Amino acid sequence: MNLDYLWNGFTVALTMQNLLIGLAGCFIGTLVGALPAIGPINGIALLIPIAYTMGLPAESTMILLAAVYCGAEYGGRISSILLNVPGDAGAVMTALDGNPMARQGRAGEALMLSGLSSFVGGVFGAVGLALFAPLLAGLAIGFGPAEYFVLMVFAFATLGSMVGSQPVKTLIGCTLGLMLATVGLDATSGAYRFTFNEPELGDGIEFVVLVIGLFSVSEALLILEHQASGVTVIRELGRMTARLDDIRKSIGATLRGSVIGFIVGVLPGTGASVSSAVSYTTEKRISDTEGTFGKGDVRGLTAPEAANNATACGAFVPMLTLGVPGSGTTAVMLGALMLYNIQPGPMLITERPEVVGGLVASLFIGNVLLLLLNLPLVNIFARVLTVPNWLLVPGILVLSVVGVYSTHASVFSILLMLGIGIIGWLLRKAGFDMAPIILGFVLGHVMEVNLRNALAISGGDISILFQSKISIILWILAGAMAVMPLIAGWRKAKRMKTATS
Amino acid sequence: MSDTTFSSSRIGRIGGLLMLALAIAYGIGGSQIDYAFASDPLGPRVVPVLLAIILAVLCLFYLKNPGTAEAFPTGQLLVKIVAVPLLLLASALLLEPAGFAASIFLLTFGVGWIFGAPLRLALIGGVGQAALWWFVFSYLLDVYLPVGQLFG
Repeated sequence: MNLDYLWNGFTVALTMQNLLIGLAGCFIGTLVGALPAIGPINGIALLIPIAYTMGLPAESTMILLAAVYCGAEYGGRISSILLNVPGDAGAVMTALDGNPMARQGRAGEALMLSGLSSFVGGVFGAVGLALFAPLLAGLAIGFGPAEYFVLMVFAFATLGSMVGSQPVKTLIGCTLGLMLATVGLDATSGAYRFTFNEPELGDGIEFVVLVIGLFSVSEALLILEHQASGVTVIRELGRMTARLDDIRKSIGATLRGSVIGFIVGVLPGTGASVSSAVSYTTEKRISDTEGTFGKGDVRGLTAPEAANNATACGAFVPMLTLGVPGSGTTAVMLGALMLYNIQPGPMLITERPEVVGGLVASLFIGNVLLLLLNLPLVNIFARVLTVPNWLLVPGILVLSVVGVYSTHASVFSILLMLGIGIIGWLLRKAGFDMAPIILGFVLGHVMEVNLRNALAISGGDISILFQSKISIILWILAGAMAVMPLIAGWRKAKRMKTATS
Repeated sequence: MSDTTFSSSRIGRIGGLLMLALAIAYGIGGSQIDYAFASDPLGPRVVPVLLAIILAVLCLFYLKNPGTAEAFPTGQLLVKIVAVPLLLLASALLLEPAGFAASIFLLTFGVGWIFGAPLRLALIGGVGQAALWWFVFSYLLDVYLPVGQLFG
């Protein structure tokens, strides 16, 4: 196997500038993860315009954003354990056993153990990424427009069956994203679509405006609604080292979590919230023989923590090799790459090895930095949790306003962000997930171009979408993904029937 | 509890109908896109029309079972919820005429106050954040920000 891209990547990631950028990213990421008010997606969305206006090259921006992403998966555990409020979506499961541990006076141990398992999961994911990325890129090099189109159908089918409580809501989200992507100039015909004669919409809706609107503005309104009064930070951390016994006990859980997390990460669109839930329920089924899960069992703490970090790395596999993001956060990073006019796909690893290699190498370095940051400095991050919302939320809103304003110096962008934010708030209240909208938006343009190119090749004959072996396999996989929730629902109904009788 | 679920599912239905209306409007708009030439057999209209049909079908499924939704805020909370976007709107419109510092002060002071800060602390927080962000963006990151006619 040819891993030259990785060794070269280390020379990119180990330059002084990129090391400092990575360290800053790890620090910001841990904060972003620890603060419940802000998650990896809006953390990254707020940084993109800053990185862009600072004139950072593409590989440095990617290293920064990847460090924030991984850092957020580390940081999420801090508020899950100390506040019983997950710091980000991937840390929901961490609270189930982490917070009971903290209440038993073992907060320090819980933080150390989960830090270690985060590290194992992260490194496992980075190794997997380094090995799988060239393989998958090699496989996808023969993809034509038809195969790409079907691949994206598969991505949406996976998303519909894995993300959220109701597939129909996830799919509506995807469709809304695809529709938003049609706004603007259609390059092949020169037609302006859905611009309502507004010149600022000619280039389409700006990516940063959409993401910041959907995540930051709507989040601010949700925080206001849910402002909890009774949450208390656990201050007594207790002993700050993990017990050898506990480490030994959680090795199996950590490794299983890492494997599950990586696989879920590679699947298109399914991020840390899915993987941590799957790994927790799996671990519970395997290890919970004495009913200790949910009462502070270290295996229930370490499995989802390893999983969400492995997912963050795994999600880069399809993003870097196929141009299909493996999670909501990598969808935002894909959008960031597009700002640099880089269209990820199987050729990226050979055409821009410094971007792919630098990113993969930075994940190895980043995980080491994060372990070093997160074990001794966890106290500092824990103290950040006491920053009141009345300081934090206005700060996030300022970053949002400056972020969308700075790229084009246009007030119209701020107004558009505001409108999108209000719609996002309404959708979130109705139980819609925002990540599918982002995914639809990011993939919309590519999906349409590939469909139209495929049909241009065949002269309008739809059968080109079903001709190659790869397309047929992808259609079958997409079909399997689509019926999966139906089967699961049927089995659940059957089980409930037998339970009642 | 049953009360809120009832009203929530009704809110879900209203939302579903709105999205259905969006699908129809988008589909009609898409089918009337003007274009002079098309270098491919599909042209710019087909994908929007397809998406409109997909969204309409999904909305019908959604309307059948909108699932659980959060109840809408009422009373004082509703006033606060409406005030935050209004403050954002005001500071966006003031950004260029009044300048970054004034408009950001309005935003951070107002939102801080809405989020429950005592008036004095909200004022200090507003002034502090306006100064902090001006320093960070203008001096550290070299981002262009309008000075405004008040101070310029």
